Amino acid sequence: MKKTLYAILATTALTMPAMAQDKPKIGAAVYGLNAEFMQIWSAALEDHPAVKEGLVELTIFDGRYDALVQQEQFDTMIAQDFDAIIFVPIDIEAGAAAVDAAAAAGIPVVGSNTRVNSDKLKSYVGSDDVKSGYMEAKYVLDKIGCKGEVVIIEGPIGQSAQISRLEGNMKALAECPDVKVIEQQTANWSRAEAQTLMENWLTAHPDMIDGVIGQNDEMALGAIEAIKAAGLNVTDFAIAGIDGITDALLAVKAGDMASILQDARAQAQGALDVAIKSVKPDYEPMSDIWTTYSDMPWNGGTDAEYSVPWTPVTAENVDALLALRQ
Amino acid sequence: MEAKQAVAPGTEGRGAGLKRRLAVYGQKYGILVALVLVCLVLAVVNEYFLTARNITNVLRQTSINGILAVGMTFVILTRGIDLSVGSVVALAGIVAASLATTSSTAGVAGGPYPALLAIAAGLSVGMACGAVSGIVVSRFAVPAFVATLGMLSAARGLTLLYGGGRPVPELTPGFRVIGTGEVAGIPVLVIIFAVVFLIAWWVLSATRFGRHVYAAGGNPHAAVVSGINVRRIRFLVYVISGGLAGLAGMMLAARTGSALPQAGIAYELDAIAAVVIGGTSLAGGVGRVTGTLIGALLISVVNNGLDLMGVESYYQQVIKGVLIVAAVMLDQARHRRE
Repeated sequence: MKKTLYAILATTALTMPAMAQDKPKIGAAVYGLNAEFMQIWSAALEDHPAVKEGLVELTIFDGRYDALVQQEQFDTMIAQDFDAIIFVPIDIEAGAAAVDAAAAAGIPVVGSNTRVNSDKLKSYVGSDDVKSGYMEAKYVLDKIGCKGEVVIIEGPIGQSAQISRLEGNMKALAECPDVKVIEQQTANWSRAEAQTLMENWLTAHPDMIDGVIGQNDEMALGAIEAIKAAGLNVTDFAIAGIDGITDALLAVKAGDMASILQDARAQAQGALDVAIKSVKPDYEPMSDIWTTYSDMPWNGGTDAEYSVPWTPVTAENVDALLALRQ
Repeated sequence: MEAKQAVAPGTEGRGAGLKRRLAVYGQKYGILVALVLVCLVLAVVNEYFLTARNITNVLRQTSINGILAVGMTFVILTRGIDLSVGSVVALAGIVAASLATTSSTAGVAGGPYPALLAIAAGLSVGMACGAVSGIVVSRFAVPAFVATLGMLSAARGLTLLYGGGRPVPELTPGFRVIGTGEVAGIPVLVIIFAVVFLIAWWVLSATRFGRHVYAAGGNPHAAVVSGINVRRIRFLVYVISGGLAGLAGMMLAARTGSALPQAGIAYELDAIAAVVIGGTSLAGGVGRVTGTLIGALLISVVNNGLDLMGVESYYQQVIKGVLIVAAVMLDQARHRRE
């Protein structure tokens, strides 16, 4: 909410003609600011050195989880002559029309975090969900010794992250033919729904479930609560989630689960560097992420895709990661 | 029904009374028969359905929606509706959690405070939301649908403002008791639900206030003429519904271990579904909280049974839809007979 207000104020300031002559105006259209991940992403964007030093004017638009709202925000940015747009679409298909409109107006669009089905994107800075799906399933399968019974708790069926993470899950499962998936169902990214689901599965398959593959941390945490409520020992299960939300980091620290951190900061700051480069040809990236991730070279800011690596959260790095959240 | 007769005593002859009585029993027990049948089928097809653990699970999974539905019953009996309960769940949950967290960033300064204080705060927040809706409905004659739609939006916005949109994790063990505790093997969640249900049942069937709730919904003009303060009744039912939504919100946060600003979205629909399936008429004045209990149980049993059998959750939504419409069709058929 505070951010929305900030966005409104910033927009008002930008429309005053005297101010924005030499500073590029960059808009960030994100699908929604209600959940922790996009809050971290937005905070990282505002924390980018180029923003803090006042080299660019940044406005963040809250898409309120509605493809139509995002489309209208694009219209607003086009009307106000923004120089570049960073786009985190709610839907892979619905976002394409917005990108088309911006491209027609000559405004470069850089994708970040979630994909959009468009060939008009200047670049995309995100993480490959297939990889994270593979990594989390691999953790679970390794821990149970590549044999036994597992359950998969899925995201909303049809969302791009669910499709890609499942593809990764299945790739890892294919390497362990002795592992049987005994249940596979959606809990819509929700902890409460996953908890109910897991309670019922534990009843339907007593003493059978060895591993839980949660396609995000919230759902993995719901499964942990269900296991505790059933009076079972969480350490008897191999449990993994994705994203690295704060609660999951705490659970990793407690030894209850594994999580694969999606680096919101690198996705946000990387996208901004690429966006600025597309407006100012002599720009050199200012974020430290390019030195952090040697696997992701800057290459002059012209690559069609930058794949931000995933970081497995371990007992060794969890304290350092938690410290970043304070 | 007794309450309705107390205001406008039945004038039918003996035969008509019997027929009506049969219709009422048919409707009252129809839903119970449906619940028993579903349970029987599930017990036959799934060996785990009737285990103590699964029954505990079903009751636990009914508790939160059940408490919302009890509050909703009061409101619907007065011809009202409370669309705001899902948002109040989130607001009360996050306010209470912020007082009962050990997290230094998400908590209120000086915390964590004792669980009872946090719970009192959550209840107060819920009742305050209900009181605002109640005043708007009873004093300003705004339709309940509109007034509580406004609260649905406002309470969700306040939730995001209050917590900056962030979840409140790391709740104290004392606070988590209401979501995860057990007494003699019975989850505290279920005990709270049972107490709420019994109090509501007693209030509606044995107190003057309860009779006035039925009268205010059944025939508001007659109720006013007979000296009942209908405005006050209409106000109080929203306070009850809001307070119970606050309670449910804290139970949800304590159960999942973290209060989320997105919690409770669309919960009002499941609560209304339980009330309607339980035979309470949206036209007001007719219905029982026992019906609501059975309606809430039926929804959970169907979900639980389909989970046990590994049926996709999308079927659960279809079946719930069929149940809601079938229940109202029964209700309409009964009205025509009368």
